[in-house]
Amino acid sequence: MKKIINSALFIVYVGMFFVSCSDTDTQDENPDNNQSFYKEVLSDLALNVITETYRSLNAQALTLQNAVDAMSVGDENALTTAKVAWQQTRAPWEQSEGFLYGPVDTEGIDPAIDSWPVDVNAINNILNSGNPITQSLLESNNEARGFHTLEYFLWGLEGTKPASALTNRELEYLKAAAANLQSKTEELYSGWLVSQGNFAGNFINAGNTGSIYASQKSALQEIAEGLSIIADEVANGKIEEPLNGNNGSAKPEAEESRFSNNSKLDFANNIRSIQNIYLGNYAGNVNNGLSAIVSENDSSLDVEIENLITDAINTIEAIPGTFTEAIINNREAVAQAQQKVRALQTLLDSKLLPLMSGL
Amino acid sequence: MKKTGFWILLAMLSLSCEKDPEVGYEALPNLNERVLAGGETTVFLTSSNAFSTPAANLSGSDLNKHLDGDLQFESVFVSAPSEINGGVGPIFNNSSCVACHPKDGRSAFPSNINQISGFFLRTSLPGQAEMGGPRPVPNFGKQLQNQAIFGYEAEVQFAVSYIQRPEIFGDGTKVMLQKPVYGIAESYIPFPEGALLSPRLAPPVFGLGLLEAIPAFYILSNEDVNDSDGDGISGKANYVHDPISNTVALGRFGWKANTATILEQCAGAYLEDMGITSPIFPTETGMGQSNGNDGMGDDPEIALEVVDEVAFYCKTLGVPAARNLNEAAVQRGSQLFESIQCAKCHIPKMITEYNPIQVLSNQVFYPYTDMLLHDMGEDMADNRPDFLANGREWKTRPLWGIGLTQIVNGHTHFLHDGRAKNITEAILWHGGEATTSKEAFKNLTAEERSDLLAFINAL
Repeated sequence: MKKIINSALFIVYVGMFFVSCSDTDTQDENPDNNQSFYKEVLSDLALNVITETYRSLNAQALTLQNAVDAMSVGDENALTTAKVAWQQTRAPWEQSEGFLYGPVDTEGIDPAIDSWPVDVNAINNILNSGNPITQSLLESNNEARGFHTLEYFLWGLEGTKPASALTNRELEYLKAAAANLQSKTEELYSGWLVSQGNFAGNFINAGNTGSIYASQKSALQEIAEGLSIIADEVANGKIEEPLNGNNGSAKPEAEESRFSNNSKLDFANNIRSIQNIYLGNYAGNVNNGLSAIVSENDSSLDVEIENLITDAINTIEAIPGTFTEAIINNREAVAQAQQKVRALQTLLDSKLLPLMSGL
Repeated sequence: MKKTGFWILLAMLSLSCEKDPEVGYEALPNLNERVLAGGETTVFLTSSNAFSTPAANLSGSDLNKHLDGDLQFESVFVSAPSEINGGVGPIFNNSSCVACHPKDGRSAFPSNINQISGFFLRTSLPGQAEMGGPRPVPNFGKQLQNQAIFGYEAEVQFAVSYIQRPEIFGDGTKVMLQKPVYGIAESYIPFPEGALLSPRLAPPVFGLGLLEAIPAFYILSNEDVNDSDGDGISGKANYVHDPISNTVALGRFGWKANTATILEQCAGAYLEDMGITSPIFPTETGMGQSNGNDGMGDDPEIALEVVDEVAFYCKTLGVPAARNLNEAAVQRGSQLFESIQCAKCHIPKMITEYNPIQVLSNQVFYPYTDMLLHDMGEDMADNRPDFLANGREWKTRPLWGIGLTQIVNGHTHFLHDGRAKNITEAILWHGGEATTSKEAFKNLTAEERSDLLAFINAL
């Protein structure tokens, strides 16, 4: 999950020792400019990409909650609306997995909303019990709440569940789970909001008192490492396990979003998370991303990273059919996508991280 | 040993351009060699990933095994039967390794003591069991599981209340410590009067292979059970029953050094923390209890290979490099760390010799622990013996990486149950053999205290 290539970092670290006693470093010529430039990048990423992604996640989760509340047994349209709302909530979540630091981790939000696998026995036992299904019942049950529990109810194990097969008890569960998901996304969004938890402040004020990051460089490294970590997770976890997890053969049960057949989109959105942070873009708003720093230092690397990100997204989306089918019938196409993501991770590890360490 | 030569070269070069120390002051110690806190396993990260990166010198099949272990460490278990990761519980404390060791780091003390977290209570009856370890409480065992799969009842619900304990520094600064007092709020059958309770909060898991590989003679050379040198500090090795080799072995892991090997620690955590049986511990922790048998007949629930991969993963996580060791405040702090005798137990340097895991062989590293038990006084006492560790004794915790806790885990809850809310409080909790050091700390000036903290935070 975190195969950051340390040899590269090691060399850079050693390099810093030598650089640190040179007074003719080009970057020292304009330390104030760099400081304000980095602050701009860090602020844009923290506010306009990360916090915005979470704002969007929370807004979609609210839509999902409303859609679930409107469901009833046999109402096919309402089920379809809820499925679409689930996918539209899933998208910003997957686009947030390039920055799994801060409240999403320290407040236990990731396991509460995206725990996998689903505990089908626990869900069935809860359904079959006489207990009212409430948010507080779900609080102690990470594996029976969150995205994948909702997915299980909306699509069913085979992905084809009709609205007529839903029960009132399942609807009660769905409503509690959707409300719980939304409360978690709100907690996550609030955790970053400057006016509330202000985790964003750690990046905006990096290097100053009040930030957990002792330097702007340290904050930029955190952001860059997050990109490598999700690339690794997609290539060597999310794709590798279903593709080869059974001693080199397919292991279908290891696919995460298989009830909804959303896996390809999940993976593409994970890489878009990298793209958003790299370019500083979210939802069409153009800001400063890591690219702004890279292009100043190594413009060809900047182009290389940008192209490889696009290439990886396109190759994932070009996998024919569903991911579930492809790991059996189009293994080569899946392997190609995996290869692109691995290449991206290697590039990030061998070039982007050292560049950030050397700032 | 190419890299070692490289580092010597580096040290020379970095010295060569160091500014002269200010005239009229005592020369500050050069701490450069301590940058490599984990020897050649050291990783150079200052981010939230500082504890969760493979040892820098790991490669090839060892790196692949580490990464397989990483996947296992993150695997979430669900109730059986399941086509994937089945077998959690029926009673348990948490459902994955990473849930208690987030980012391979330290759990926060939970805001609600019964929410699923990295906290639990151990229990036992007074006295010793056959092999010298704690006596299990009938129908509760030695660890209390406060979670259960749906339809089963957890063993207990925990309770905690606090006693205020003020500490006043020599300069008048006051700190209010909160002493937790634990109890049992509810239990599935009556909980015996007189059973002992001892709290635990999950610690970081990096660098464990190096600690396991310290030669026993090296650890024992610091032992001074009867304080024959009269410095007020003893240092005692724990000798424990190693259930894997079925021998008596030097205890190295756990807050009271009650476990000999990382493999046992991992198998024990699978069993007691998660309710997952393995070939090492094939019987469910609650077997024979009304809430303890899932009736699946599926034991062992994981293969030995899985436990082995997770143990390998913990052994081969890199240790984060120390930082800012060239800063004067940090260097002054390191002098204070020596002069008020923190370093007597938090011994900076340790070594390894040959180890079957090649990257751990022949390392010089800086964990800041002597791996020995010390009497930490009445306020820290759990009054629960564990092999040779009595109710007042705890193993010296390593300090490496401690300054990165806030970045990695978003909190600074320290000690065995997180009662210290920052490093200052952790020092103030020291008693027993550490009383003289604690009093010396309290009599430092504010600036000196700040220097000492700068040093500890640089680790």
